[in-house]
Amino acid sequence: MQRITIDPITRLEGHGKIEIFLNDEGNVANTYFQIPELRGFERFCIGRPVEEMPLLTNRICGVCPEAHHMAAAKAVDAVYHVDPPAPAKKLRELLYSAFYCTDHTTHFYALGGPDFIMGPDAPVAERNILGVIHKVGLEVGGKVIQMRKYGHTVVEIIGGRKVHPCTSIPGGLTKGITEEQRKQIEEMGRFAIEFAQFSLKAFNDIVLGNKQYVDLILGDIYTHHTYYMGLVDENNKVNFYDGKVRVVDPDGKEFVKYAPKDYADNIAEHVEPWTYLKFPYLKKVGWKGLVDGKDSGIYMATPLSRLNASDGMATPLAQAEYEKFYKTLGGKPVHQRLAIHWARLVELLYAAERWMELATDPEITSPNFHTIPTEKPTEGVGIVEAPRGTLTHHYWTDERGVVTKVNLIVGTTNNYAPITMSIKKAADSLIKKGKVNEGLLNMVEMAFRAYDPCFGCATHSLPGQMPLEITIHAADGERVDVLKQYC
Amino acid sequence: MDAPKTLIIGLGNPILGDDGVGWRVAEEVAKFISDQREVEVDCVSVGGLSLMERMTGFKRVILIDAIYTGQCAEGTVQRSDLSDLPDLTSGHSASAHDTSLRTALKVGRSMNVTLPDDEAVTIIAVEAKNVYDFTQELSAAVAAAVPQAVQSVLDALKN
Repeated sequence: MQRITIDPITRLEGHGKIEIFLNDEGNVANTYFQIPELRGFERFCIGRPVEEMPLLTNRICGVCPEAHHMAAAKAVDAVYHVDPPAPAKKLRELLYSAFYCTDHTTHFYALGGPDFIMGPDAPVAERNILGVIHKVGLEVGGKVIQMRKYGHTVVEIIGGRKVHPCTSIPGGLTKGITEEQRKQIEEMGRFAIEFAQFSLKAFNDIVLGNKQYVDLILGDIYTHHTYYMGLVDENNKVNFYDGKVRVVDPDGKEFVKYAPKDYADNIAEHVEPWTYLKFPYLKKVGWKGLVDGKDSGIYMATPLSRLNASDGMATPLAQAEYEKFYKTLGGKPVHQRLAIHWARLVELLYAAERWMELATDPEITSPNFHTIPTEKPTEGVGIVEAPRGTLTHHYWTDERGVVTKVNLIVGTTNNYAPITMSIKKAADSLIKKGKVNEGLLNMVEMAFRAYDPCFGCATHSLPGQMPLEITIHAADGERVDVLKQYC
Repeated sequence: MDAPKTLIIGLGNPILGDDGVGWRVAEEVAKFISDQREVEVDCVSVGGLSLMERMTGFKRVILIDAIYTGQCAEGTVQRSDLSDLPDLTSGHSASAHDTSLRTALKVGRSMNVTLPDDEAVTIIAVEAKNVYDFTQELSAAVAAAVPQAVQSVLDALKN
């Protein structure tokens, strides 16, 4: 048996790696993807006032603190059985839409996009945001920086702080916005829409205009027939902040639609001995292993999943892009994982349009941004769509509102099984009879980058690189080769 | 009033054990230099592009962070410049969702944003032990290294 190890991420030490085991014929037998897990968050929270959770949870992760802040805010509302007034919900969603614009922009231009804009075969040293700027033009860099700045500014205006918002409390927000701030947000929203349209046009020209890329997207190597999950509004349109969780089957038919409080009836977690992280799956379908198909409870939760699980986008320009997306890719649902990149841009446009809708909503400057909770706290669930998947927070408290138990299912965890499967498929196609194709590193890298996985702990390590390393072991376990690149 | 010339940043996650050492050191440094108007101190939990954005307008930056090399004893304080770190920055990522700081700085500079040169970014790194368990406590060796790290930052401020 041969053994191949891919070490995709080091934070401060080398946890989190991909191990590929080959059979005696030298073909892939199994792949194991291990994600570093931060320990003890539940224990850390127990004994603290539950209203601190929106502040504490945004420190779980350096990548999407805003998502944790929002899921926590909603969970804390539920714990106190309080429904925030409409202006508070709209302000939170406005903040969240701006955050989405920042996050999706970063992914497309810094991570996912370079694979296409520079080409998957380009040297790794060029497949980054600098390469994109050199190829597409300096103006792109300026727009990306401007988009991020505006997104951060809206988060700061409504959330009180950049990146780590602090204004959500049980029943709403600690503050509203002034008419002057609203005008500023509206102005920035206009830029966001233009930027999203610019990004979709770039994707259209560079990716869809290149047959090689279209073939890569539509090819079998990154295709899995799984269930898809996403939050939808009352019209089954994509919503990032609120609604019900809808799951469609591999044929695109609605399998279940549940309210956040019912998540535990629908999602279970499978434990494997080789990893600390659990694999969430659909309880009513069951765990059948790391396989796709209708009988396997594995689901995906990504931008593509949200599009697949919905009946459309709630804003006109994004809806038109949604229709083009499915028309081009052969109808719903789309199973090809690289299409996640395109779906992310459709969502970027939706987020920008929603930003504008909310910024021009007559209620948005209302001073009615908080409802004082009057009921005894018990337990509550909050669900939002993090950019990288459905995010569930569940808290239990005693009658004083002191946390007694916490359960979280975070975005990337939802996709743990699908990512592992995609890595296996990439390995399957590139390792034959013990011969490892040199494109393996790139293809594995592209597979897991499509999902935009968040190893939230990894944002500020030194020296701050993410080595991707494959160690190949001979049948007797001895190491015979090492492939390495920095991605 | 002119903008402060030097920015000191404590990096890390303040509730993730030794990863919070950067914040702890920065908070101590702030007490020593509260009278120096040309120096600004901040604590953040970001990297890559966001960290670059925080540096906007500064020509000199001192970063304080936890590091794990496995090569030296816990609590060891090391000083280096960003330009001394392995030049792997043509790659993508300090995380799965960002660019490296050096790439981010290059992007910013190419947009004519005022940013420090790599040589003007000093890093004070403290060898860490526990960065996977949520706690506000530093491990003993790392906590004991805080005064030395503070001194290193103050020394770096002078030259």
